[in-house]
Amino acid sequence: MIAYLLNLATLATIFGILAASLNVLIGYAGIFSIAHAVFFGLGAYAGAQLALQFIPDVLLACLAGGAISAALSLCLALPALRVRGEYFVAASLGLQMMAVTVFSEAHALTGGHGGLVGIPPATLFGADVSGPAPFLVFALAVLGLLLLAVRLLMRGSFGRALMAIRDSESAAEAFGKDVRALKTLAVALGCAMAGVAGALFAFYMAFVNVESFTLEQSILVMAMVIIGGTATLAGPLIGVLLLLLLPAGLSFLPFIPPTQIGAVQQLIYGLAMTLLMIFRPAGIAGGRR
Amino acid sequence: MLFLQLLVSGIQTGAIYALTAAGFALIFGATRVFHVAHGAAFALAGYSFLALSQAGFPWFVGAGAALVVAVAFGLFMDFLVYRPIQRHEGSFFTVFVAAFGMSIVVQSLIELGFGRGFVVVASPLTRAHEVLPGLYLADIFWVAVGVALLLFGAVTLFLERTRIGIGLRALSENPELLRAFGLSSRRLSMVAFGLGSALAVPGAVLTAMTSGLQPAIAAQVMLVSLAAAVVGGIGSLRGAALAGLLLGVVENLVVSVLDTQWSAAAGFVVLFAFILFKPSGLFGQAVAR
Repeated sequence: MIAYLLNLATLATIFGILAASLNVLIGYAGIFSIAHAVFFGLGAYAGAQLALQFIPDVLLACLAGGAISAALSLCLALPALRVRGEYFVAASLGLQMMAVTVFSEAHALTGGHGGLVGIPPATLFGADVSGPAPFLVFALAVLGLLLLAVRLLMRGSFGRALMAIRDSESAAEAFGKDVRALKTLAVALGCAMAGVAGALFAFYMAFVNVESFTLEQSILVMAMVIIGGTATLAGPLIGVLLLLLLPAGLSFLPFIPPTQIGAVQQLIYGLAMTLLMIFRPAGIAGGRR
Repeated sequence: MLFLQLLVSGIQTGAIYALTAAGFALIFGATRVFHVAHGAAFALAGYSFLALSQAGFPWFVGAGAALVVAVAFGLFMDFLVYRPIQRHEGSFFTVFVAAFGMSIVVQSLIELGFGRGFVVVASPLTRAHEVLPGLYLADIFWVAVGVALLLFGAVTLFLERTRIGIGLRALSENPELLRAFGLSSRRLSMVAFGLGSALAVPGAVLTAMTSGLQPAIAAQVMLVSLAAAVVGGIGSLRGAALAGLLLGVVENLVVSVLDTQWSAAAGFVVLFAFILFKPSGLFGQAVAR
């Protein structure tokens, strides 16, 4: 039971980082990306390759994952600078679909459909942190640090400028904000955090393949952020807890056959998304607008 | 000959895409609602046709039921999902998430009812004949192309010649003026949703008879019609239809150069390129950033 709870807690922490990173894009910058799993995946592959080829240091892997994702976030920043609204959603969709194909075809880097297996146990400065409890503590520390960073940044001039751009791009530009630079930075920041989450995920699962980085995953993370409440610190975390506990809770209900749990779970979160948008568009943690 | 064969099957896929995308574009053009649950209407129509065909009814009963279900679903979305949202806030992303939630709901309901696997309605129309040496063609090719041309012509006539059609075009250009003129924008948006959803029906029926249906087809069709609508220029019916045809052909022709795995991604490369370099699409007006 303890092992089960630890597992759930670790996954929740990793997804907490991921949801918080998407919140930077959706909530603060108003960039509605549905390609977030791509950057989660990039971080995971980068972390896994580092561990497999060089050293299994989890901190270095996080940095590498973050760096790779931040560098490739330009693929997302480019359309974000050119188009808005529907067009950007469509562009990020295109990016997501292309990335899944690349992930499953670039065998040398990603192991294709088979994925990368046998990622060595995580170490931190030479000490073994691969046990469930130490790993959870490390992941929680990363989450705490990143949340603190997001809070500080969003309270400061960077965050205010971003939210100004989100609410009215032309007004922000008229006030002399460098819209291009700010948006690019925000995308890089959000994607880098997703990359960190990816690297942690790779170590935790000791195995990564393309199945974890598909459009469904992007939608799941988006649902977490939206259901929890965008542009709040606690919102994404609430969303993560709800959506991760949902399948765990459903498996205890005796009247649903185990083979149908996936579909029932999808049904519930689809309904939750629609109903929340109709009755409470700011999410559970968001104030009424 | 392989090239010709792929071109022919590309045109068949493209005809189906074109009609479905035209429906999406019609709805978006008139109401400015990014109806991502359009794929769900397609899936519902396809599965209704399948259920009735399996129950032994003749094809036209099945197709009629599919039409009723698709139109009912479109109107349901308009009345119970989009309108309540637009009443209080109506931000583009709220609508998008709600519609996405509904398409997840539909997909999981289909999964619960019909299972995950591929299902096909057997039809004598799909039997292929050798038309030229090495070129096989089934009668259904002519049905698909004929139906697409006929319906597209009918819808174009409807939009250009009838009072309601002209009202629909006016709605897309200036809703306030339309109301001042004394026309009801609510009634017109009902027409747009009904007609747009109806345009998904032939594609759904033909797909049920050719490549088969699976629950995920809702998402797939949504992606394709969205891509076609953007590439064609958002709101342009002609553009969406042409782009749908183009995507179908590209998807099939790519197979002659690259592995089949790349065929799904090819359409999205086209989409991504269009958004980056020509966001107004083939026939759209220039868009503001």
